[in-house]
Parts: sequence; structure tokens; C-alpha cells
Amino acid sequence: MLIFAISDKGGTGRSVTSTNIVYRHALQGNDVCYLDFDFGSPTAGAIFSVGSVARGTTRTGLHDYLLSEGSPEPHRVDVWTESDREGLRTKPPGAGRLVLLPGNEGGGELPAVDEEMLRRCVQLFSRLDEEFDLVMIDLSAGRSFTAELVLQATVRLPTVPFRWLVFHRWTRQHIIAADGLVRGGDGLLDVGARFGHDRDTLRDRIRFVRTAVLEPDAAELVGLRDEQRAWLSACDSELRELAGRHKVGRTVMLGKIPLDPILQWREQLISDEDVLASKIANAETAAAFDDLAKKIVDDNAWEGL
Amino acid sequence: MGEVHTGLLQNSGEVPESTCHELLNLLSGERVRVSRRPIVHAVSPDLLTGVDCRLPSASRSRIRGAGTVLSRSSITGGRVVQGSSHTRIERAGSDRRQPWSHYLARPGVVEVLGKVKARDLADGFAEEPPPDGLDLGAISARFMDVVQTSSLLDRRTPFKIARTKLRWVAEPGEPAITFTLRSDQMRTIRLVHQGEFTPGVVDLCEDLALHDWLLTSLLVIIERARIGGTSATETAVKLAPAVDHLLHLWMPMARVDDALIPFWESLDRRPGFTRQWQSMVDRVRDQLAVRTLAFLRETGGGKAQ
Ligand SMILES: Nc1ncnc2c1ncn2[C@@H]1O[C@H](COP(=O)(O)OP(=O)(O)OP(=O)(O)O)[C@@H](O)[C@H]1O
Ligand SMILES: [Mg+2]
Repeated sequence: MLIFAISDKGGTGRSVTSTNIVYRHALQGNDVCYLDFDFGSPTAGAIFSVGSVARGTTRTGLHDYLLSEGSPEPHRVDVWTESDREGLRTKPPGAGRLVLLPGNEGGGELPAVDEEMLRRCVQLFSRLDEEFDLVMIDLSAGRSFTAELVLQATVRLPTVPFRWLVFHRWTRQHIIAADGLVRGGDGLLDVGARFGHDRDTLRDRIRFVRTAVLEPDAAELVGLRDEQRAWLSACDSELRELAGRHKVGRTVMLGKIPLDPILQWREQLISDEDVLASKIANAETAAAFDDLAKKIVDDNAWEGL
Repeated sequence: MGEVHTGLLQNSGEVPESTCHELLNLLSGERVRVSRRPIVHAVSPDLLTGVDCRLPSASRSRIRGAGTVLSRSSITGGRVVQGSSHTRIERAGSDRRQPWSHYLARPGVVEVLGKVKARDLADGFAEEPPPDGLDLGAISARFMDVVQTSSLLDRRTPFKIARTKLRWVAEPGEPAITFTLRSDQMRTIRLVHQGEFTPGVVDLCEDLALHDWLLTSLLVIIERARIGGTSATETAVKLAPAVDHLLHLWMPMARVDDALIPFWESLDRRPGFTRQWQSMVDRVRDQLAVRTLAFLRETGGGKAQ
């Protein structure tokens, strides 16, 4: 199964959330790999704490692999052995493989999509799907040639299952933007249909994920004055109403990740140790990632609407 | 020298002989060859790929060669796919690059332009080819892709599993064989045979690659099943696909030339392929037997005895 991670705006929490989902999915016993297709800023290595590829690889990264004919297989990083974080460096019993395919250091966005690039992309997805239970592909924010490329590639792989996650924050601007990215002019549905996807089928394969959400009843808000809490509560219901109108409401939401102070400070994986031993992360955050990692393959959560 | 890639056919079940035929019909007009005993084995016709590239060299000398590579795909037991490529490296009659017609007349031969030491070439074969180097693996992988991405397959495999790569080199001399595990997915064979090279050497390497893949895959499945580390039911569920799809495929030396059987036998003594396979098969069967007994006890079915 291929999962594409996208957001309309940059800095939404797409990479942090999708890496944590993949990590949790591996802990649940699946073989997973993570493709950094955000060629403009390939930072997945940093989130997995693999210093050698923190800003992409200097070997054959995914960017080079797609752009140069005859380049060797893309560089693979086994996170369980190559992470600098001690807690990640041993594969827990029962966990599956956790492999990162980094972008290139100094890669840059794709200049266009051509036939050779498309062929290589199809080949890459098809080979990885043979080997891994889940392949997560982190795209750049907004409309891009990269998004166009993968939309075309999936048309050519009709038997390979795929799904899309659209990440957005819980604000007015983000809700409207997420809707626009999917349904707006030159959005995912438009471009997908142009290249041969069935519009309705494609729509059913898209779900939304809310990132860094502050619930009005969250523990963080305990010290607030009543007036502030009432105001937040009113905002929240207004946003829910807005989300419903923009078709990014509850029924198409796969999950939401609470705002977590540690993620505000640093882009990283949240391990059980962070929750239980050092207690720097909130249990709710880890639980939300864990839940998403299950829902992502749970067909009930993806039934047609 | 050559390289064989081996993987699980991307289909939910075993495919019938007629489908194997269609899958391997890469070149119209030429026949797919099928042998039925002791296991159905279908092979595509050999196809030529023209190459003009750098050749392997342990001393990293720049040696150039031009000629053709012979490749084929095969399916064993309607379940396992292989892509196999090889070429013979020979000294050219002249140091000048010849027109393609010259090379096409000698299928499966690459002529070395300039001076070369056979030893240096053979010593360098195991290394990853440079970007302008002879990459038999890339050709084999594409021959596998053609089968794996066919619309005749449903891609709903019972489990995900990596391809393995076996890179081999053969030279004349005092008979010997060395099999080396280079990484999780990469193996090499260095073979010294008496007299002239025969196509039987390719068959031997393909047969060894097939059985190495079976061993590797069964090991992975047993590891995933976490015998003793999780519930017996969960273990049984994870082991079941091995029983359904892999165990019956072990047929060593089925297509190996009599003269080359001693090579297989020597690897069977050490590292002892069949011994390891048998002990794993016993382990899987024992686990499932234990599970069945427990099941009978739970349902009261065991009381009858
Ligand atoms: N649940 C969360 N709680 C608090 N902060 C978060 C949360 N998720 C993400 N963040 C923070 O938000 C910032 C942006 O996250 P991230 O880099 O994942 O976004 P992105 O959408 O991938 O951005 P870009 O478009 O630049 O690639 C980071 O500093 C990250 O740590
Ligand atoms: Mg990012």
C-alpha cells in the first residue's frame, strides 16, 4: 500500500506526523518504508535522527534516482541500525523493518514531469510495494510537479492500492486551503482526473489529518480564564462548522494529533520511552499516532462515502 | 558473469501454467519453454541487451567493453519469479570499437577493448558497478518488473518479501565454489569450472538463487512469527502462508546439469542449504502441530482419544 502525505501549506506538521505514523506502523509489526519526496527540503533524516542524511543524502537520493537515467538503486537507510538515537537503534521484538529513502542534499523541486521520470517512479513504487507492507511518500507542500508525478504513476499501477492523507492545522486558513488543495482548480481531483483517475474513486481514497490540535478541554488550558475558554470553545465550534462546509469534516477525517510541546520544540519521533520513562511527551500524542497507524490500513475507516 | 534476481510472484495464489506462458511471452514468435517435473518451471526466450560500458575491475582500472547481455525471466511453481542476465567477457580481436552488427552476431558476449587481466576482472565482480559500469543487476531487475507489473496478476500476495540478488562470476580452472552472503539481500558466487563455460552454469546459479531466496524468505517469515514471543494463534497465522506457498517449492538440483551437481552438493555440505531448510520446515510444522493440538483441546475434540 502506498500512502501519499500532502498539505497545502508548508510547516503544517506533515513530515513529523507521517514519520511518526510510519514508526508506529513498524512497531505494530509491519515492514514499512518512508520516501522523502519533498525534494526542495529533504529533512526526514533529521526527524528519524539519522545525522548522516539529516538534510538528504549525498549518494543516490530519490531526486537523483528520478532525474538521471541509469542511476543505481536509491540509497536506503535502515533506521533501526543507523539512527543516532539510542532508543531507536535496536529493533524492538516484533517490530517490522523501518527503512528511509532520503532525498538528495541540495536536490530542488522537480522542474517538470517527463516520460522517463514517470517510468522510474512507477518502477520504484512497484518494487517497494513488493517488499513493504506500507510505503509512505512525503510530498512537498501545495501543488507541485511531484504531486503530478505520483498521480500519473498511480494511474499506471492499477493493482497497487494507494491512499492520500491531507494534513492541515485546525485554523480557518488551513481548513479552506486543505479543501482547495483537493477540490480546487488544479487540485488533486482535477489533476488526477486529467491523468486518468476516476474522480469519485480518487476522492474516496483521500482523508484529512488535523495536526497540532489544541482541544478546548485540554490540560494545557486549565490555567485560562473562563472568558478565554469560552472564546476558544466558540472558535472551535465555528471551525467545525467551517470544516463541514468545506468537506473536511469528521466523516473524512482519519485522525487528529494533539498539540505536543515537545514537537513544538523539535521535529522528532515520539517513542514510548519519551512518554513513560523521561515523560517529556504526552501519552495522548503517542496514542494518536498509534491510532492513525492502525486506521491507515483499516478498510472500515476508508469506506466510500 | 551474471546476476539473478529472485522474488515472490505478485499474485494472491499460484498461477497456472497457461498464465506463466502469457507472462513470459516477452518476444512474440519465440517460445516459452516449460518443464513440468519435478516442478513446473517456465522460462522466457533469451533477449539481448546491447551494452557499451566500463567493466568491473578490482584495481579500478578503466576497462571498456562492448557487446550484448543475454537475459530471461522464469517462473517456478507458479509462485517464484526470476530475472537472470549474464554475459561472457572475451578479448576483442582488435582494439577498435566495431559496428553493432559485429556484436549482435555474438549474442551473450562482451568484448574487452584494450588490455585486461581476467583475475582483476573476476576479483572486481562483486562490487557495486559505477554509474557508467556494466550493471547486470539493473537489467535483471527490469526483466522481473515486466512480469511483476503484468495486468494478469492481482498483486494481492499472501505476504510482502524482498527480492534477493545473486551476483556470480565463473572462470575455468580447478573446480571450486564460494557462496557469500554480502547483505540482507545480496549474495555472490564465485565458481571455478573445468573446461569451457556452458549455459549449464547459468542454470546452476539460477537454481542456487531460487533456493537461497526460499531459505531467506522462510527465515524472515519465522522471525515475523515470533515463536514463543507472542500467542500461539498469532504465530500460526504468520506461519501459515509459508506452508501454503513456499514449503513445496524446495527441489534442489531439479534442472542442474549432471556435471555441475557436485557444486550444489558441496554447498549443501557447507553451509548446508538443505539441512537448514529442513530444520526450519520442521520448526514450522511443529508449531502448527502444537497449535492444532491446543485447538483440539480447547474445543474438546481431543477427548475422544
Ligand atoms: N502535533 C504537533 N504539536 C506541536 N508541534 C508540531 C506538531 N506537529 C508538528 N509540529 C511542529 O510543526 C513544525 C512543522 O512540522 P513539519 O516540519 O512536520 O511540517 P511540514 O508540513 O512537513 O513542513 P514543510 O512544508 O516545511 O515540509 C515543526 O516544528 C514541528 O515540530
Ligand atoms: Mg516536511
